[in-house]
Amino acid sequence: MLSAFRSALATPDLRKKILFTLMVVAVYRIGAVIPAPGVSYPNVQACQAQVENQNIFSLLNLFSGGALLQLSIFATGIMPYITASIIVQLLTVVIPRFEELKKEGQSGQAKLTQYTRYLTIALAVLQATGVIALADRGQLFGDCDQPVFPDNTVATLAITVLTMTAGTAVMMWLGELITERGVGNGMSLLIFLNIAAQIPAEGANILSSQGGLVFFFVCILALAIIASVIFVEQGQRRIPVQYAKRMVGRRMYGGTSTYLPIKVNQAGVIPVIFASSLLYLPDLIGRLVGDPNQASGWQRFLQTYLVDQSSWVHIVSYFALIIFFTYFYITITFNVDERAEEMKKFGGFIPGIRPGRPTAEYLSFVLSRITLPGSIYLGIVAILPNFFLSLTGQGQNQNFPFGGTAVLIMVGVGLDTVKQIESQLMQRNYEGFLR
Amino acid sequence: MSRVGKRLRRIIQRPGSVELTRYEALLPAVEKREPDLEELSDEQLTEAAASLRDAEVFGDKQLVELCALGREAARRGLGERAFDVQLLGTMGLLSGHVVQMATGEGKTLAGALAAAGYALQGNRVHVISVNDYLARRDAEWMRPVYELLGVRVGWVEPSLSARERRDAYASEVCYGAVSEIGFDVLRDRLITAEDDRAQAAPDVAVVDEADSVLVDEARVPLVMAGSVDAGVADEEVANIVRRLRLGLHYETDADGRNVWLTSAGASVVEKSLGGVDLYDDEGSERLASVNVALHAHALLTRDVDYLVRDGKVQLINASRGRVAELQRWPDGLQAAVEAKEQLPPSDHGEILDSITVQALLAGYPQVAGMTGTAVAVAEQLREFYRLEVAVIPPNTPNVREDSADRIFESPGKKLRAIVEEIRTVHESGRPILVGTQDVAESEELADKLAKAGLPCVVLNARNDAEEAAIIAEAGTYDRITVSTQMAGRGTDIRLGGADGADRERVAELGGLHVIGTARYPSSRLDDQLRGRAGRQGDPGSSVFFASLNDELVLANAPDVPDGIHSDEETGEITEQAAHRQINHAQRVAEGVDLEIHRNTWRYTRLIEHQRAELLKQRDEVLGTDVAREKLEAAEAERCKELAESVGEDVLTRVCRDALLFHLDQLWADHLAFLTDVRETIHLRAMARETPLDEFHRAAIPEFHKIADEAEQRSAKTLLEAEVTDDGVDLAAAGVRRPNSTWTYLVQDNPFDSDAEQALKKVRGMLRKKRS
Repeated sequence: MLSAFRSALATPDLRKKILFTLMVVAVYRIGAVIPAPGVSYPNVQACQAQVENQNIFSLLNLFSGGALLQLSIFATGIMPYITASIIVQLLTVVIPRFEELKKEGQSGQAKLTQYTRYLTIALAVLQATGVIALADRGQLFGDCDQPVFPDNTVATLAITVLTMTAGTAVMMWLGELITERGVGNGMSLLIFLNIAAQIPAEGANILSSQGGLVFFFVCILALAIIASVIFVEQGQRRIPVQYAKRMVGRRMYGGTSTYLPIKVNQAGVIPVIFASSLLYLPDLIGRLVGDPNQASGWQRFLQTYLVDQSSWVHIVSYFALIIFFTYFYITITFNVDERAEEMKKFGGFIPGIRPGRPTAEYLSFVLSRITLPGSIYLGIVAILPNFFLSLTGQGQNQNFPFGGTAVLIMVGVGLDTVKQIESQLMQRNYEGFLR
Repeated sequence: MSRVGKRLRRIIQRPGSVELTRYEALLPAVEKREPDLEELSDEQLTEAAASLRDAEVFGDKQLVELCALGREAARRGLGERAFDVQLLGTMGLLSGHVVQMATGEGKTLAGALAAAGYALQGNRVHVISVNDYLARRDAEWMRPVYELLGVRVGWVEPSLSARERRDAYASEVCYGAVSEIGFDVLRDRLITAEDDRAQAAPDVAVVDEADSVLVDEARVPLVMAGSVDAGVADEEVANIVRRLRLGLHYETDADGRNVWLTSAGASVVEKSLGGVDLYDDEGSERLASVNVALHAHALLTRDVDYLVRDGKVQLINASRGRVAELQRWPDGLQAAVEAKEQLPPSDHGEILDSITVQALLAGYPQVAGMTGTAVAVAEQLREFYRLEVAVIPPNTPNVREDSADRIFESPGKKLRAIVEEIRTVHESGRPILVGTQDVAESEELADKLAKAGLPCVVLNARNDAEEAAIIAEAGTYDRITVSTQMAGRGTDIRLGGADGADRERVAELGGLHVIGTARYPSSRLDDQLRGRAGRQGDPGSSVFFASLNDELVLANAPDVPDGIHSDEETGEITEQAAHRQINHAQRVAEGVDLEIHRNTWRYTRLIEHQRAELLKQRDEVLGTDVAREKLEAAEAERCKELAESVGEDVLTRVCRDALLFHLDQLWADHLAFLTDVRETIHLRAMARETPLDEFHRAAIPEFHKIADEAEQRSAKTLLEAEVTDDGVDLAAAGVRRPNSTWTYLVQDNPFDSDAEQALKKVRGMLRKKRS
């Protein structure tokens, strides 16, 4: 591992790419802590201390690397870009013109990317306006009464909106720069960075409130979790596949490298996000319906059992939802019939199994078998922070960076990036292979 | 375009925007040199050219001198004074660009002057053409110019002996077809003695018809095969497959790239083969031959994809519409087609080495090119070759009239309208050139024309030998020429026939009228056909016919929007939506092509890298005694014994031969392995892995084994083989050099493109679902 990094740095080409990525990262982190114009920095700090992360915007905040609640120039972050690309993807199904563009290959794709960028700007304006309106009315931080915008004239707020929108545009550009000239996928890397940026703060929190011993154990545990997540993420079932389309004199390599891989965690992080979004609903309803101080019976019930993240009802339903969504998601994304059909079309088959229906049935069998451990694993990783919290006595934060969504995303992006560096290294390091 | 506009384009790096003003500024100086040079005798001219060789830097001064000398040499040698625009082309080529010059502007001369310019700078230059005929014609045509400039010129063609070949390559400028030069590179890779090497390392490639060579042909691998196994065409399977029926026993997909058995079909085949199970481990060998036979039966059509001529199957090159003499289908498909046509199987061999055109050109330190249509592929040229396009303005402005497409609801009505159009235009006696899509269509149209009382000359893959003659006469008064795409390149169409005797009359009528019977899969091919008319300011016109049921539309954009109305009687559609649909279909086709090209290149780059490493090692073995040293270290005793019995020299040679042989063999095996991996690697996208990265992961460790393995095997050979004074008999030791080798082009791989398609689909799906 270390030697790989050393040789990565010794390859001039790759070194340049890595340094470039690091430079972009530095630019981005600095921007994330520069307050937007018009924002009162001391007041924001005071408010933040008050709310202790107990906030429905925490997921957004996590994705923005804390920039959102800092009201920094990167407050809106890359969320608008992510939303915009999802929307454009969906629109390709609805709007014929978009579908045409998508089919036209690179030149069409370039146009779609351009549309995505425009949409990002529009969404960024919307989101920035929303965030600023909330912040101005004091709702962003729950019950904080410090004025975040001392001078809340329209002109000042408009400049703040403009600044944040520009911030999103810059982030989009930085992300694209990384993809183009650096290592890894820029957007994923920026999300990774946002999450990782929270870790030191969380660590310091634990250290100051719980003392060294607990901190030490938390660190050990965190490492163990990360290691096991990496282990499971790499796991895959390899179904041997043969392609009998060409007549080759000898077939001595068959089986070694021709297989259909199915990951243990084929669904990725999506089921966890689905489940946690669903569990936010009771909290949201409770807040919308009324004043928590005069709560009716069912509201109190919701509060104690579902909203409170240390309650066993919450934990069990969370776990169950994740298992459900994993199966659900895999069923809709991994279409066994389509896969079997495609293999048949291109002359492929699983030895001993006839193409078409039997292949689809076999794939479906394997898939449902491997999804069970996969979903249980996802559930465990996701509920871990809840135990962490009761252990450390922290406030409620589903997105604590040592478990749940955060660690899944981080490990995923990390693995991808390392793999990419590795493959670039392999392509370059040929010198002296024949002694 | 205004100057400001040009500059803006350059700033945003739009293609085709290389700065020419710098060269334009030199033209007056060239002109000023002209009277002086006219005074010189031929010898003095040659001397003046020779003095360019001494220049330390090749700056503007030398450039001016070269152009002036070139112009003078062309005037004396060919009797034509090079236009300013031709000299501009020469200067563009000399600075390593792809120059776009319209048809008939004199690319050949511009290229020759540039080649001479490179040669006078001390480089060894290859001028690469699309075929042997053009290579030879251009070399002979330009020879007087080269001779006046004191540059030695030669050409290669398939019939040359090894000795003549070496001589040709030893010239300063060598003309050759891209395949011929590529094959020589491949042959040089299998030599066992340094003296057998044909090519000395060249410095510069000047590519004629650059878009065709660099883009269309780039994917086609040149292959060198050794006949190791005899060809096996499974006739039994071919007979079974012949009885299968579409829909019941097998199905194909819409774009005609894939065919597969239904379960009913599989049962029938299994029963006919005597109750085997095709889908277990043993049956897969049989299954492969069934699949290949089915592909030949269902997807390849006689007279569209291939011809049967002289008892042989000959492929038709889709992008040029002519018989591709050297091309074969890969992996048993050739044999399957031969079985289908009940022809004797041709030789079948193991692939020893292959090289793509792109990799071949990557081997030249300096590449320049010229073509009539470069701007359309400018981005690809930049991406794959780091070449920029310089657009040379025509000598006289182009006055050709290009009409809008005429679109019809069905191919039948389209054909009717085409015949009608030909009749109308023909009445005045204007010459007409019709470009069709394939051989079958050209013959169908010729039939229809004959019935309508309109005699025409047909030019297609069947009579391509007469190509130059037919095309040269296509501008004659009253002439109708029906051709496949082949009429695109190389020969000019002069109005009023080859000698231009009747030029005035034909020009008066409006010049050549070009008709395209359908849009081609790329707008560049459309432009090539259009470019046949309007040469050097001649009058001319062009029109394309299309239908919403053309293959281009069906394959690439089958979802035609509803509610497009057509004229009831003629079936003509004038709605904008139909034009959009057809342009869209063409863009999809271009996009798919580019994607395949890019993907192929990504994978071949690694293979090229490995090959370069291997060749370095091979050259070391070839040039030094390293083989002897290595084997001595491994088998000291045996070496000593042999040194005594046959002598030092023989032993060294034996060691070298053995090691070279095993290196070559292992490389061939490695290539087969890579093909295997390549075929299924797209499945890795299922686990969100990048197929390309996974390909590297599989390919690299395997490659690293080659060196040791070769040594071990050579040591074993040394132990087991009988060594005499004549060397070693490798055949007797159970290893054989291929008893004959031959070279051919592989038709761009029909299988791989499927994998690409699947890959794209899977990727698109994942991307959609993930976001």
